[in-house]
Amino acid sequence: MTKTKAVLIVLGCLLLVYLCTIVGITSIPIDTANRILLSKLFFLPVSTEGITDGETAIIFNIRLPRVVLAFITGGSLAVCGASYQGIFKNPMADPFILGVSSGAALGAAIGIIINSSASFIGLSLTTILAFIGAFATIIMVYSISRVGRRVPVGNLLLSGVAFSQTITAFMSLIMIFNIESMTQIMFWTMGSLNGKGWPQVLTVIPYVLIGLAVLFTSMRELDLMLLGEDTAIQLGVDVERLKKKTLIASSLVTAAVVSVTGIIGFVGLVVPHVSRLLFGPKHKALMPASLFLGGTFLIICDTLARSFLAQEIPVGIITAAFGGPFFIYLLRKNRKGGGL
Amino acid sequence: MTPALVFEDVQGGYGEHKVLNGVNAQIKPGEFVGLIGSNGTGKSTLLKTVSGLVPLDGGKIYVNGADNSRLKPKERAQQIAVVPQSFSIDYDFTVRDIVMMGRNPYLKFNESESDKDREIVEEAMKMTKTDQFADRLFNTLSGGERQRVIIARAIAQDTGIILLDEPTSALDIHHQIEVMELIERLNEKGITVLAVLHDLNLAARFCDRLVTADGEPKEIMTQENLREIYDMKMMIRNNELFDKPEVIPIRVLESEPAKSPKAIHIVCGSDRAGRIIEDLDDRGYDLSVGVVNENSGDNEVCKNLGIKTVTQKPFMPVTIDLQRENLKLMKGADLVYIADVPFGEMNLLNLYDLENLDKPVYVHEHTLQSDFTGGKLKEALDKIPSVIVVKDDKDFLSRLEPEIEEAEIIEDE
Repeated sequence: MTKTKAVLIVLGCLLLVYLCTIVGITSIPIDTANRILLSKLFFLPVSTEGITDGETAIIFNIRLPRVVLAFITGGSLAVCGASYQGIFKNPMADPFILGVSSGAALGAAIGIIINSSASFIGLSLTTILAFIGAFATIIMVYSISRVGRRVPVGNLLLSGVAFSQTITAFMSLIMIFNIESMTQIMFWTMGSLNGKGWPQVLTVIPYVLIGLAVLFTSMRELDLMLLGEDTAIQLGVDVERLKKKTLIASSLVTAAVVSVTGIIGFVGLVVPHVSRLLFGPKHKALMPASLFLGGTFLIICDTLARSFLAQEIPVGIITAAFGGPFFIYLLRKNRKGGGL
Repeated sequence: MTPALVFEDVQGGYGEHKVLNGVNAQIKPGEFVGLIGSNGTGKSTLLKTVSGLVPLDGGKIYVNGADNSRLKPKERAQQIAVVPQSFSIDYDFTVRDIVMMGRNPYLKFNESESDKDREIVEEAMKMTKTDQFADRLFNTLSGGERQRVIIARAIAQDTGIILLDEPTSALDIHHQIEVMELIERLNEKGITVLAVLHDLNLAARFCDRLVTADGEPKEIMTQENLREIYDMKMMIRNNELFDKPEVIPIRVLESEPAKSPKAIHIVCGSDRAGRIIEDLDDRGYDLSVGVVNENSGDNEVCKNLGIKTVTQKPFMPVTIDLQRENLKLMKGADLVYIADVPFGEMNLLNLYDLENLDKPVYVHEHTLQSDFTGGKLKEALDKIPSVIVVKDDKDFLSRLEPEIEEAEIIEDE
């Protein structure tokens, strides 16, 4: 990826953030929106004449954090997906493959049923329980798969599937006994950025920054993993350490993001594949490309989710509805047999 | 000088299945050592214990004096490079990408490749002539080209030791030799090479020394050792072109033993009787051969099989004295077979006094047509009362066997 290309992509993303912030169901004049952004974001001395508190709140406290959260969520899910596909050497790997999403969903379901208004630094009980559920799941799956000091990839995948199936069964059971909360739980599992603001953004940012920093410094070693674990070892990669590093970092990021937004599928699976087709398999290009494409993709999907109909559509539905067919199109177009 | 590799009572395998039962060997810096042995004797496993893929259950491996089990993957990869049998990937990496991966052991986890790394990679590609397709995708290359790229990667790894696991077995003869020559060149630059080789002739030609993975190493290229290692019959002769031993694999499955093996004397001396001599020997017949030229192929077979022979020096005619010795052998036999051999003045005396032998004398039909004596061969044969002409070696064999079969039938009745 050349520098100009990279600059263009970053500029494109910023433009998109701007456009999606000024678009919405409540129509606010562009001029008003601009003035709100300039004064609130860049602290510029522009006139705030004729701007209502409501308009300011919509632009600055509702839409902007939502778009920012969409970028963070989409981008980090895609990067986590790319690194999972790298260490698992499996094109079907996504950030939820180890059961993070099921664990989070169970936590969230419990939170919804308790229906407490308790909150902690602006986060609902549901979010906190989802985070605990997600993390507990990873620790369980990891310790089930461990053989001595090694963590075989096959074990991880299988125990991830097995464990998340079990958890899903529990969640279904809980829903049966709490039919009145079923709709809410269902909505949660479809993922949504509705009603998310700066507290949520601030909650996920530390995890995302630390996690992505770890993943972005493992790019060359992840390339070597694509040659197979044996070859990677012979070329000097401490494979077990790399696996642990990647797993912990990705799980941390995914758990944080999922507990805030619910389960937003397909971004973490499809975007890395699209990036690989566009920029090749080297992680040095793949990871940044996934970050920006994933972020952009989710911003667009979320903007559609909130502006398409008067009623909010869970963004997970949009990502699947667009991501699935697009993926099929790519698969048909790039038929090379074997992996992408 | 510290040995490049030391194996000390190395034991290891895959879980319950133990493959290595106490391997001992030392490899000196700059040696080109071939690791041979039949399938399942742990050759590849031994390489894997060195490259850190298979942990040891016992014993020690020392790499340039350091305990291998204590080396970090990076430290090990700075000293040992591995070239596998074949290698493919599902991803679109270019040749340059793959070769560049050889520089990984020298880079910190978050460090990018420097100009020096790029230089080393270009150099490695030039040496293996892979620079001409540096930007092509690895997956689009042929087997031989791929193997050269992997060797380039090993060169870029800049190690003192290269391990090769059957580097040529997926290649045709051109590419086999090409790969071996490349490795030879690296060896000449001082790199220690330990290669698992299935092709014994390549091994004998390129290696300084051969070892096995199943026990004590021995200087291998002797017939007894090879027969033991591979559990089959093989012959070794000197390849004059390279002045290196050359292996001719003969058989694994033994032929049906003769029911009542006779003693047979064979008259031959060029190189067309080796096959029937080996076959008869394998079936358990008691053989003697003569008079044969020392340099003939037939004699080489006899030497390898340990058959009694009367020999004459190259370019010297068969003499009466030698034929007398030969007649002694003939007298000890039940019958005489004049195999496929041309007759000239030099070896005509091979037929001297056969008329008084009073034993059946079989003659290969083709021999009658290879008469360079101006009719003296026919004269000599006509004198022998008991001559039986056979179509070929197979015909000869079938005449030896049916008598026995018939005898059996009579016994049954």
